[in-house]
Amino acid sequence: MKRILISVIPMALLLAGTLFAHHSFTATYDTGKTVSIQGKVVQFLLRNPHSFLHVTVVNKDKKEEVWNVEWAAAGQLTGTMAGTIKAGDLVTISGNPARDPADRRLRMVNIRRDGETWGFREGETVN
Amino acid sequence: MKKLLVVFIGLLVAAAAVGGQSPGGGAEDGPGLGPTVAGPDFSGSWRPQQLVTESQTAAGDLADFGGIPLNDAARLYALSWPASRQTVKQHQCMGYVTPYFWYAPANYRIWEERDPYTQRLVAWRFYGQIAQGDRTVYMDGRPHPPAYAPHTFAGFSTGEYQGNTLTVTTTHLKRGWIKANGVPQSDAATVVEHFVRHGDTITLLAVIDDPVYLSEPLSKASLLVRMAKDPDAWLYPCDDSEQIYGRKGDVVPNHLFGQNPYVREYADRHNMPLLASLGGVETMYPELVSAVRDRAAAESTAKARMMPSGPPAVSRAPDPTPKDGEIHTMRVSGDVYLLAGDGANIAVQVGPQGAFVVDTGSGKLADKVIAAIARLSAKPIQFIVNTTFRTDHTGGNAKLQNAGADPSLTGTFFSMQFRGAGSAATIISQLNTQVHMLQYNLPTPPSDTFAEDRRRKYYNGEAVEAFPMPNATTDGDSIVHFRRADVIVAGDVFTTTEYPHIDIKNGGSVEGEIAALNFILDRTVYVHDEDGGTLIIPGHGRITDEWEVAEYRDMMVIIRDRVQALIKAGATLEQTLAARPTFDYDVRYGATSGPWTTNMFVEAVYTSLKNPPKIEDAR
Repeated sequence: MKRILISVIPMALLLAGTLFAHHSFTATYDTGKTVSIQGKVVQFLLRNPHSFLHVTVVNKDKKEEVWNVEWAAAGQLTGTMAGTIKAGDLVTISGNPARDPADRRLRMVNIRRDGETWGFREGETVN
Repeated sequence: MKKLLVVFIGLLVAAAAVGGQSPGGGAEDGPGLGPTVAGPDFSGSWRPQQLVTESQTAAGDLADFGGIPLNDAARLYALSWPASRQTVKQHQCMGYVTPYFWYAPANYRIWEERDPYTQRLVAWRFYGQIAQGDRTVYMDGRPHPPAYAPHTFAGFSTGEYQGNTLTVTTTHLKRGWIKANGVPQSDAATVVEHFVRHGDTITLLAVIDDPVYLSEPLSKASLLVRMAKDPDAWLYPCDDSEQIYGRKGDVVPNHLFGQNPYVREYADRHNMPLLASLGGVETMYPELVSAVRDRAAAESTAKARMMPSGPPAVSRAPDPTPKDGEIHTMRVSGDVYLLAGDGANIAVQVGPQGAFVVDTGSGKLADKVIAAIARLSAKPIQFIVNTTFRTDHTGGNAKLQNAGADPSLTGTFFSMQFRGAGSAATIISQLNTQVHMLQYNLPTPPSDTFAEDRRRKYYNGEAVEAFPMPNATTDGDSIVHFRRADVIVAGDVFTTTEYPHIDIKNGGSVEGEIAALNFILDRTVYVHDEDGGTLIIPGHGRITDEWEVAEYRDMMVIIRDRVQALIKAGATLEQTLAARPTFDYDVRYGATSGPWTTNMFVEAVYTSLKNPPKIEDAR
């Protein structure tokens, strides 16, 4: 897993520049907030320039809703994450929420599953 | 106020004359060959100065429009835009128009294209890594294309040396961003860029003249710094797909007028009057300071600017349709051509079997249309499709039909029963188009019809499909897809010149119109970043690709949402008209006179939503 940390952090730095170029994080997400969701992975779509992880979450009204988590480019994730995160996995994700709550969208900060953590910011630990 | 701009450009030109790196070209130009001696050499790999990019691009804050001479329509367009719009499929890989092109924090390459035989400069090439923008600046004196030609994010550019300055003029741009926080640059904009090189720096001044969204020209400066080493990262792959799980195709995120929750964010953070952050000509000049001195008055003015006001607006974009009494022919793709100049657009596919025509125009220039088709094909017109019953699409039916022949009927069982079988072209349409032509006693109605299913032909070696578009502008609309050429003829479902002519009396509806536009978008494929690929011939206006169809769909959804909200709040038709739900689009599509005014369109949307017809899925 250490190898993943080593590879993922530079990826995240590169990612920041890339996304910054194509759309604004500050316009899209409330980068001053971090929220956490827990649920089952519906699908993990690898594509460029942004991959998306869709996760079913039970909300406070005990209804299921799907959250949309923006992640790195397929070209950046394929080597490390493809096949690692699968449909049905129970995951906990921290991220910056979208400004528009109707989108139920997060910008990935870190993701946990079965005691494993993949972090994307400097100083975060990875098991 | 324009004096300041003039002075700024003058200073730039003066700086070029004094400090520019290379001497200007002095040799005489040959006709059509371009200059024999180049001006300054801009070749190399470059990066923009980061400080400049951050203030001008997607990194800009929401509702930070200060210093941009946007007009009232552009302001409301921008305030209606949430960043969530970028989750819509066609927005995910949107390209960059110039001069926004120059503000991406990534690599740029500039190089020459020279004629291998004469070594004369044919063009400068500008390539930007983000969105893989690829621009060609022709230096050989060629003219810009006609107004009905396709637009691209790169546009069509021509250049010339003015002393040590390379001056580039770009037209045929798509709708893009001045600033990617919602401030639009229209497809009618013209951009003039001045490039001056000083050693390892290029100074760029771009002047945007946008009759649709700007009150006066906007100048933007940028600095490009030469990279000592040519980088190896040049591409930017982008594929769109669902981002928001389960979202339907008729959802386009937007803020209703006056309901943008972030409108004060930038102003409050910087403790500045809201009026200053909302942009407009006055925010470009020092006089703004006195205008906002009375904070209460400035606040009141700002609030007023967040809602529609002022006299009704009409489209400020030039109509690309030729009106010189001639038929203008342009190859679109493959064997498919556009014939423009006689009412609605006419499409023609030609090949060894004959000519396949979609719509016949108003009929006023039918003889010239027939002559233009004859120049493309020695074989007769065999099939004609009418995409609607309107007379500007069917007026040439009689003459074009009689000028053609349908050899698939001649000598068959049918010709034994009808002596004239096959002696003229066969006209095909959706059933209701024929019904309406008979109902209104319009001449030469179609003789071959389809209803719910597509009508398909394999003609001239190409699959051709006509799809019904239920309850779009009428209940008889259809579109035609030439699959090998990958050209879709959209009829009045899509135009670039006016709001869709939703004819409630004849079965049109706003939901059907949106469904039809989405049907087109489900069949289109772009080459890269919403440019090229499947081309669209609209009922009226210029050739496009999917981007303009998506923009039109977005507009329809947004206006529908606004009218729906008004209806939900109990608004009458008169109150809905007074609320001006099309305000930010009127400068592009609006009309106050003629056969299809803005008010008629709003009334159609209102009526359609109050009493919706049953919409079947477009097939």
